[in-house]
Amino acid sequence: MEGRRLFRVSVDVGGTFTDLVALREEDGVLINIKVPSVPRNPEWGVIDALNKFLEGRSPGSVGMVGHATTIATNALFGQIDLELPETAFITTKGFRDVIEIGRQRRAEVYNLFFQRPPMLVSRRHRYEVEERIDADGSVLASLNREDVVEALDDIKREGIDALAVGFLNSYRNTAHEDEVVGMIRERMPGVHCTASSRVSSEYREYERFSTAVVNAALIPIINTYLSKLALDMKELGVAAPLYVMQSNGGMAMAEVVSERPATIVESGPASGVIAAAWLGELMGRREVISFDMGGTTAKAGTVRGRIPEVVHEYEVAGKIHMGRLLKGSGYPVRFPFIDLAECSAGGGTIAWADDAGALNLGPVSAGADPGPACYSREGEEPTITDANLLLGRMNPVSLLGGGMPIYAHLAERAVSRLGDALGMDAAGTAASVVRIANSMMSKILRIVSVERGFDPRNFTLVAFGGAGPMHACPLAEELEIPEILVPPNPGMFSALGLLAADLFHDHSRALVRKVDEVDPVEVVVLFDEMEAEGRKTLLAEGVKLDSMLIKRQLDLRYLGQSYELTVDVHGVFDSDVLLQAVEAFHGKHREIYGYAAEDETVELVTVRLRAVGLSPKPSLEVRATVEGEPGAKEVRPAYFEGPDSWIETPIYDRETLGEGVVLGGPVIIEQYDATTVAYPGWEVEVGMYGNLLLRRRRQ
Amino acid sequence: MSLDATTIEVIKGALIYAAEEMGVALRKSAYSPNIKERMDHSCALFDHQQRLVAQAEHIPVHLGSMALAVREGLRLYEGTLGAGDMLLLNDPYISGTHLPDLTLIAPVFHEGRLIGYAANKAHHTDVGGRAPGSIAGDASELYQEGLIIPPVKFVRGGEVDSEIAALIRSNVRTPDVQMGDLRAQIAANNTGIRRLRELIEEHGVETVQAAMEAVMDYSERRMRAEIAAMPDGVYEAEDWMEDTGTGDEPVKIKVRVTIDGEEIGFDYSGTAPQVDGPVNAPLGVTLAGVFYTLISITDPTIPVNDGCFRPISLHVPEGCMMNPRRPAPVAGGNVETSQRNVDTLLRALAEAVPEKVPAASQGTMNNISIGGVMEDGASWTFYETIAGGSGGRPDSDGVDGVHVHMTNTMNTPIEALEAYLPLRFESYRLRKDSGGPGRWRGGCGVERSWTLTSSKGILSILAERTRIPPWGLRGGSPGALGEYVLRRGDGSEIKLPSKCTVPLGRGDALIIRTPGGGGYGHPLNRPPGRVLEDVKDGLVSLEAAERDYGVVIDPLGLRVSLEATESLRKKLSTE
Repeated sequence: MEGRRLFRVSVDVGGTFTDLVALREEDGVLINIKVPSVPRNPEWGVIDALNKFLEGRSPGSVGMVGHATTIATNALFGQIDLELPETAFITTKGFRDVIEIGRQRRAEVYNLFFQRPPMLVSRRHRYEVEERIDADGSVLASLNREDVVEALDDIKREGIDALAVGFLNSYRNTAHEDEVVGMIRERMPGVHCTASSRVSSEYREYERFSTAVVNAALIPIINTYLSKLALDMKELGVAAPLYVMQSNGGMAMAEVVSERPATIVESGPASGVIAAAWLGELMGRREVISFDMGGTTAKAGTVRGRIPEVVHEYEVAGKIHMGRLLKGSGYPVRFPFIDLAECSAGGGTIAWADDAGALNLGPVSAGADPGPACYSREGEEPTITDANLLLGRMNPVSLLGGGMPIYAHLAERAVSRLGDALGMDAAGTAASVVRIANSMMSKILRIVSVERGFDPRNFTLVAFGGAGPMHACPLAEELEIPEILVPPNPGMFSALGLLAADLFHDHSRALVRKVDEVDPVEVVVLFDEMEAEGRKTLLAEGVKLDSMLIKRQLDLRYLGQSYELTVDVHGVFDSDVLLQAVEAFHGKHREIYGYAAEDETVELVTVRLRAVGLSPKPSLEVRATVEGEPGAKEVRPAYFEGPDSWIETPIYDRETLGEGVVLGGPVIIEQYDATTVAYPGWEVEVGMYGNLLLRRRRQ
Repeated sequence: MSLDATTIEVIKGALIYAAEEMGVALRKSAYSPNIKERMDHSCALFDHQQRLVAQAEHIPVHLGSMALAVREGLRLYEGTLGAGDMLLLNDPYISGTHLPDLTLIAPVFHEGRLIGYAANKAHHTDVGGRAPGSIAGDASELYQEGLIIPPVKFVRGGEVDSEIAALIRSNVRTPDVQMGDLRAQIAANNTGIRRLRELIEEHGVETVQAAMEAVMDYSERRMRAEIAAMPDGVYEAEDWMEDTGTGDEPVKIKVRVTIDGEEIGFDYSGTAPQVDGPVNAPLGVTLAGVFYTLISITDPTIPVNDGCFRPISLHVPEGCMMNPRRPAPVAGGNVETSQRNVDTLLRALAEAVPEKVPAASQGTMNNISIGGVMEDGASWTFYETIAGGSGGRPDSDGVDGVHVHMTNTMNTPIEALEAYLPLRFESYRLRKDSGGPGRWRGGCGVERSWTLTSSKGILSILAERTRIPPWGLRGGSPGALGEYVLRRGDGSEIKLPSKCTVPLGRGDALIIRTPGGGGYGHPLNRPPGRVLEDVKDGLVSLEAAERDYGVVIDPLGLRVSLEATESLRKKLSTE
């Protein structure tokens, strides 16, 4: 066996645990390993997990390593030991504060004590140079090289090696930015400079400059991290290539990511949605809502026709309030991000009473340390997990297959204390906590479905994360989602997404022109240019020609609107294809906003291209059928909203359930890393590959 | 009917979410950058008694005025509205804010029974009148400010009244944009109607109405508790509008705040009578300032609804600048007087809750409207407001270059403007030495300048704080005054007043310098190290460091000369 590449391995570093999932290619058997994360040295957790995996296996058996990391996010949030380096920014004379003033709003309107997020470039390190490009791309003032030399001398003196350059209207003409990058290469060899037009060639200067600055500031940290990781892997004897999940849901080779780290900020959350998309496809479901409820937050995303919904811009390290990002609280990065809505409802989220007698949840979370009160790790505050425990939905003795003891009386004490403040008994309080958590989570599910014009009745809910399968039923009822899919290892499902992801490289160019004034040839040139770039990167990543796929898109809007809709284009681009795209735009506008204005002028704003390197999809183990009727391991009272409230509910071990088994709700299914709760009126079927399918029983 | 706390909580969340979703629908399908990018709009739901139950996506100036617009707008139509009807209005003496704010109100029925209203208010880029953008700095009557729309059934049984639409189209400069935005306003109300109905289908009318009642009571309880925590007493302050746009005299706003147990009263007696310039504030704007101030110094997490307003009483004499009589012009009420109103209120409350009140912020929105005709004959208009410094705070410096208090709209990207309009920008940066010196420095103002590249344009400025600076607090010095400079093509410069309408020619440039925030605490108490940082960052000059802060910095090494600083500070403190 020595030397044969048998496994594809993925490692997902979360705040609490580092999950490793390895897939044996020949039969689809999965190996799951969980080790504690090491926040200050995340690569240690990765190596720890790899080490455990390699016990009794040859390092040569690892064929590839996929990786999701929160290191970029943590650095932007200012985590200790991950401080961002001092960064310099070279820009057009007169405009050095564009990156500070931003869009001039404050993230919290009624907070007289609000603060901007800390500036990534202090004002003294924003260098103005004489140059000016007009909105049509012509040069109004040529680049004053002496200004640049002076700036670079100062940057050298200050010992700064994180650099970005951004000029006004560079999306039209990159010459001046390129010239500066060339001068830096000459004068400061080895120092990388991010040019705004190279990380984001679209208009709107603040967002473009910010993307460049975020990228420049992250390069030293991500570079160091990935090289350390590669070195450590080598020491273990693992020579397999390392791929990193980007925020757009596609993988890229570590070497590529090192130069464009702004693309991996939301690496972790993206892999969960990719996993949901893949599982949906495997089970023949093209329209999927992913619902990931972990220890501190719940996240939702949508997958339509197998494609996860994306936004083309996001603020990294921003604040989330009631499912939405507070605009102005973070750093804009213009790059496709898997579109997620998030709320502070995780297993560890703390419930509390305010002075006016209302029950509130979060945003504070007990996390995994100290964790919920029932963990007996000095956590005294009642959490969602404690509430579920009191309601009989969780095993009252232990979790992690007996590996972790649970103390129900501590949960009861914590919840009772909260109940005293609200004038309710413990059980009633616990039921209220769960109901409020569900109402918060139904909101994020609405944000990603109804609000985008999608009818949830056409979707399958893929529920994962340690707590997702416990809350899925009431949420599906609320949104009238007919079916829930619970993967085999819900607690490690995100890591599985890394094995299913393709390689993506996204490119875009601004055009900003009325459709009837667009020369198709001009668009073809832009597409060709981007395609060449994309293919070059894929080739460098070792992707074979027949595994490459090119997707082309246009961003269109009605003239005068300032938001665009993205539509796909197919085939050789000509005026007919452009017309079809305009038709598709009207249709999409109607679908999302309820009307189309077919007689109004449409404007082509951005031309987009995604170069895809298809990766082989994992095929999962088909489980042997378990002989005989499954037996419940116990029966215990559990609470369900509704007239009967407390119902004697059978409890099953998931391992004992073979394919084809059907159980009527209410029923609770326990396993190592999660608990699935099927409500009355639902039934559970064990489907292919051990997936649980929950459906509403026909009445 | 009595309800459990959880159901109330769930319905409360759903109501707020429904209002938010209205905002999403409005913003997504709107045409003008004013709504889409600058988010100059608000959405709300009301119960069948026209009481505000949930509001979202609000800009502060619509806070409270929404409730007023709905109550006053419906007065003539009580009982005559059917399903699918929507009322449109912008009359400031009914809607409570200036003419560009178009309010659209829709009744919500369930099985033939009126259960509430969905409403939204959005700032339109143009509603006609003497100046492009409909915010003239020198209007002397309401009629010059644009088309006045009393409450009319703009939508009947789901269909837009084409005659009213035609009337509006004929009176505005960019009719397609206005119609596009109105369509988005209709979509927003439809979203609200749908959600409210769904909520009733799920929980039943009685439950939802009881929950609405409870949600309002909850906000009332929390607001009362907040007020009770403030020391009882009478607190007074005045501040001034520097002129009226048509006259040169400063005009006084005076407020007397009485905190008594869990109630708070605001009395504007002593405020100047209404003026014939556009700085009068309709009552809705005055109310909005009161609510904004109160929410900001209490707890912004209290859900905004009718309940929060119950412990508040207001006395604004009719005919004064803060509650004018028709047909006084009011365009600047929303955008300028509203800021001074907050300055005055905060100045009074600084005595009551000193730990919660910053020094004065820039106190203006710096409204710039410009329009003209392009080389190809198409007409264009552009309106923007510009950030400045926020006031120094009891525990931190003010913020540089940010919108303050009653506005929070975004700027338009320079690249977007240069691509569409005959403007070329020369600068957009923070102003050195504009932040008011203090233990905690006021935020710096902004310099923004551009040149007109087409042959002709008309510029309208409506601004403040070019003569009376934003005040400092507890020994802090005032922030820098705002400035408007017109640089002619030949290089000559003219200082423009803060409220004016002037023609521009090709090559003329406008240089806008917005005010800084006031300082908080005495500048001689600012640690020299912080002054040095500001000097290194180019926000404070070496001269100002010595003059204002008594900090002597060695210009070559950029280090604080400790001895020289100590003796200078000693000398300055005895002066």
